[in-house]
Amino acid sequence: MNAIENNHLLLVDDETDFRAPLKKRLGKRGFIILEAGNGDECQKVMADAPVDVVVLDVKMPGMSGIEVLEWIRENYQNTEVILLTGHASASDGVEGIKKGAFDYLTKPVEFEHLVQKIGQAVEKRRREQEKKQEAEFKARMEQQMITTERLASLGTLSTGIAHEIDNPLAIIKESAEYMRILLNKEEHAQLPRKPDFENAIGKIETAIERAKRITHQLLGFVRKPETFFTQTDLKVLVAETVEFAGKEAENKGIKIVRDVEKANGVIWSDPYEIRQVLFNLLTNAIAAVGSDGTITVSLKDTDSRVMFSVEDTGEGIPKENLEKIFEPFFTTKPPGKGTGLGLYVTCGIINRLGGKIDITSRVGKGTRFSVTLPRTHKACESMGDNKNICVDILNRIKGDPAK
Amino acid sequence: MIRIPAKVLIVDDEKDFVEMFSLRLKETGEKVFTAHSGQECLEKLAQENIDVVVLDIKMPGMDGVETLQEIKKKYPIVEVILLTGHGTIETAVDGMKLGAYDYLLKPADAKEMAKKLEGARKRKDEHEDRIRKAEQKALLRRGGNI
Repeated sequence: MNAIENNHLLLVDDETDFRAPLKKRLGKRGFIILEAGNGDECQKVMADAPVDVVVLDVKMPGMSGIEVLEWIRENYQNTEVILLTGHASASDGVEGIKKGAFDYLTKPVEFEHLVQKIGQAVEKRRREQEKKQEAEFKARMEQQMITTERLASLGTLSTGIAHEIDNPLAIIKESAEYMRILLNKEEHAQLPRKPDFENAIGKIETAIERAKRITHQLLGFVRKPETFFTQTDLKVLVAETVEFAGKEAENKGIKIVRDVEKANGVIWSDPYEIRQVLFNLLTNAIAAVGSDGTITVSLKDTDSRVMFSVEDTGEGIPKENLEKIFEPFFTTKPPGKGTGLGLYVTCGIINRLGGKIDITSRVGKGTRFSVTLPRTHKACESMGDNKNICVDILNRIKGDPAK
Repeated sequence: MIRIPAKVLIVDDEKDFVEMFSLRLKETGEKVFTAHSGQECLEKLAQENIDVVVLDIKMPGMDGVETLQEIKKKYPIVEVILLTGHGTIETAVDGMKLGAYDYLLKPADAKEMAKKLEGARKRKDEHEDRIRKAEQKALLRRGGNI
């Protein structure tokens, strides 16, 4: 069993004569051995290096083994402790187990027996770590599923609303148009306060355009029927988008750095949609930086996936906003400036393409959006928003990323 | 140049929309008829010599596509412009395959609408012209055979 190898083992015993031969023999079995002559030293060693298993003598001057055990349990929950007790003091061992030791052995210790115990402790530790990782992963996935579901139901709701709004909007538009035509008739040439009327109609028309933009963007999120998969060169897309957004950035003193040359970046996906994603992320980054800063667009790939990220040196996103940024209509911009749909649409597109989007942000430092996309269209064939995520979860649980 | 008004039939179950749209079109010089359902649309077509139908896709009962099919069956040279919500663009494409002249997204831009109306009418005029010429030729040929 190679699980033993490279495990950090700490021997805590006040007798050097006991420690030295043990260290030598255990070292031959592949452990990395650390030593401590008393409780204080043990604390120092553990503060400096990670320790997997502690072999701890109960009878020591200064801090007793039990005290050290209590301290370890309090500070290093993941470290296993094996107690060594005197021949006549089995009760120490029992007390130790009650306090959270893995097990105890009575001195004099039979070497093979000790090795076996350490092996068991290591195995237990490994299992627990796995369990913990699994639980964390599950919790994270559940959170992601909840978010996805929430976005999906918000999507359904907002599409419904968008449809319902388009009709009255059409009526308002026709009415405003009609008023404008009437106002421009000869019979109204001398109408008192005519400019006031014209001004008011103008405002109605502007507001209609604004509302129309929102409803159309919203409906665009849910389903674009003509998603078009083809060979897509992300390097080209990045270059195009950077060029497109570059002027605005330049005017604001923002430098856009491209870190894409080492990547291959050719995948099977929808270039139009990816361009939209890149453009949204880049304009967001420019807005976040405001002026004088740097935006880094980078590209990396593995056999089955491509990752690209847009990182800015902007204001960062406060924690309370991080959860909401993918929701429709969430914006921190003043009314009329942002629709709050950019990231919502972005998220929808990435789901459709079978990818995922991650975000890390530090207030005052900047924000980084990372997008992972599958290299081939296999994962994208089914366009269901949730299905791809499920496939992803399954693959990761199996520890076998989709090839 | 005197413009001959187009005879436009507006079909939508949204009564306020039909009212305002027709008022506006009348002001710009078209001759406007209205209907609030597919059934009513067909009735109006039977009564009037309509040039262009502006047809909402989403209607209760007989929907826009069904109405379009009926129109094309009974009045093949009448041109149809479909009005659609954003979510029904696919339907609009299907509609064009079934013979609609074009489609517009609601809420439609007045200028675009004017352009498409004009285009639809022109196509109908040309179509009628060709029919007339063909009929003349047919008559001549028949005359020659006698």
